[in-house]
Amino acid sequence: MPGDAVVKHVVTFGRVLREAGIEVGPQRVQDALTGLDAVELARREDVYWTLRQTLVSRLEDLEPFDLAFSAWFERAPTRRAAPRTRAETIRPVASFAGGGTADAEPADGQQTARGWSYEELLRQRDFASLTPDELAHVRKLIARAGDCRPLRRSRRLRAHRRGHELDLRRLVRASLATGGDAAERSFRRRTLVPRKVVLLCDVSGSMEAYARALLLFVHAVVGTGRGVEAFAFGTRLTRLTPELATRDPERALADAAKRVLDWTGGTRIGESLKEFNDEWGRRALTRGAVVVIASDGWERDDAALLGSEMARLARSAYAVVWVNPLKGNPAYQPLAGGMRAALPFVDRFLPGHNLASLDALAEVLTGIERRHAA
Amino acid sequence: MTFASIDALEQALREASYLPDRGLATALYLASTLEKPLLLEGEAGVGKTEAAKALARAQGARLIRLQCYEGLDVAHAVYEWNYSRQLLHIRAAQEGTVSEAELFGPEFLIRRPLLEAIESSEPVVLLIDEIDRADDEFEAFLLEVLSDFQITIPEVGTIVAERRPAVVLTSNRTRELHDALKRRCLFHWIGHPTLEREIEIVRLRVPGVPERLAAQAAAFVQGLRRLELAKPPGVAETIDWTQALAALGREELSAEVVEQTLGSVLKYHEDFESVRDRALVDLVQEARGAR
Repeated sequence: MPGDAVVKHVVTFGRVLREAGIEVGPQRVQDALTGLDAVELARREDVYWTLRQTLVSRLEDLEPFDLAFSAWFERAPTRRAAPRTRAETIRPVASFAGGGTADAEPADGQQTARGWSYEELLRQRDFASLTPDELAHVRKLIARAGDCRPLRRSRRLRAHRRGHELDLRRLVRASLATGGDAAERSFRRRTLVPRKVVLLCDVSGSMEAYARALLLFVHAVVGTGRGVEAFAFGTRLTRLTPELATRDPERALADAAKRVLDWTGGTRIGESLKEFNDEWGRRALTRGAVVVIASDGWERDDAALLGSEMARLARSAYAVVWVNPLKGNPAYQPLAGGMRAALPFVDRFLPGHNLASLDALAEVLTGIERRHAA
Repeated sequence: MTFASIDALEQALREASYLPDRGLATALYLASTLEKPLLLEGEAGVGKTEAAKALARAQGARLIRLQCYEGLDVAHAVYEWNYSRQLLHIRAAQEGTVSEAELFGPEFLIRRPLLEAIESSEPVVLLIDEIDRADDEFEAFLLEVLSDFQITIPEVGTIVAERRPAVVLTSNRTRELHDALKRRCLFHWIGHPTLEREIEIVRLRVPGVPERLAAQAAAFVQGLRRLELAKPPGVAETIDWTQALAALGREELSAEVVEQTLGSVLKYHEDFESVRDRALVDLVQEARGAR
């Protein structure tokens, strides 16, 4: 083990890194010390690499690490690290095609004359224009639309009568009894199991007209069983899963609004996503999940934070879907800073302003493909 | 075989035809000294897999490679019973009865990479390639193996590694790995090499290449990396391309020959088109000016 001075140095440096937001556990510090013991302390380069390789485990942390390293060990004023050679990969934004009949035929009351049914009319009506009576009627339909769940292939094979893979293990055991004759063949196949879903719903003032309908949808998805998590955000983030699992969605919405809103505030999407990534993403809640964000993308704060948090989210999620009620308007362009910053990390960008678009959302969710499938 | 110092390891890798930078050499050295798995991340084609192979050559160890893919399971990663042999064995023993212990003995076991690496009594480098492609469940399983270096087979019992294999994991970062797995590993990000190193690498890997051609090709690829491409070329591409140019008997770059062979550097059609139509002539000029 290196001398006391080094130990003290490294332990304090670990603390500096933690302040910079890098997760440095005791095991890492231990590794760093063992590592330093094995290299020449006189060579700055070797010390740098040893600390970096033992204390840091993700690309995003390299830049803060470099800054902290030069500040701490070289007593240099904090300066920008050399630009990284790695070019940010630009992911094409998958645009939504098909299903959204709403875009083609803007709904207005006149169309009843063409003999559309009441239900069909409601399907096309913007949620913002629904009367309380109509909304009560739509509730049922939304609940039906939200009864959807993406599936994934399980890694495990289960016994299945019409499976494609011979269950040789079982077959051999059965053959022991019959002296090597495979009297009965058993098969296995991969089964489909529900994929995790995470829903984040913006309930800030600008989303007021849609938040209720969207939360009804979220409520229905939560009802499809385990592995669904729901959150609401405004200026802050709050977890809704327990409320939505047991209670009336209307009350859950009211409660959430009380907890997450600072009414003078506006929306802090980036900050809320950061809270989500830090608190829940770190616990692998997002891993392999389909993440649905419902928001109009009006960011009060700096859009850069939103962009970087979306990048974090997109990396651990299986796919990211952004539902923006404003997109229901054919003239809508995602020009607001927040929306523009988020879009490169969104796999599917959908409207969510009426029942038809929620049906389309359900369809997308059930059949969603991994973004890196290519 | 462990190395006495980073310098010694660097030297051994050079002799195994691999030119590591100081960072990678330190990472491999620490991995063997601390007996920890090493996680290598970096853009495609920067030599992550090659580093593991070179380490095996340098140590005189056997390389055992586990290529990950979505749906990889225990039967393909760890072990499987040789069912047809078991059935034949039961048949052959028509007369007497076959005991279960006999049937699930070592001779009926098919060893897949992980078990092979753990059981091996000679030095081994275990390369777990593109771990980000495997499913979460497999990652969790791997975590268990990498923390204890032991594998349990219900019919046989627990097999503990006699000597810990050197483990190198690579990831292209198509998804974030579990923190728990990362905590278990040393981490090194391999960036693209500097111009000097890239020239050196090309000359080492393409024997007999004209010096000027190697320098110009490397400079050209470095120029490409500065553009905003969907898939910036890695060192692997530089090597392939220089090989192609050398095979064509070229001594130096020209806009014409670059256009003909650019396909081996840029694998995406959009990249190919945008470079051909916009940057190609300038980049060739610049590369020719470099030496």
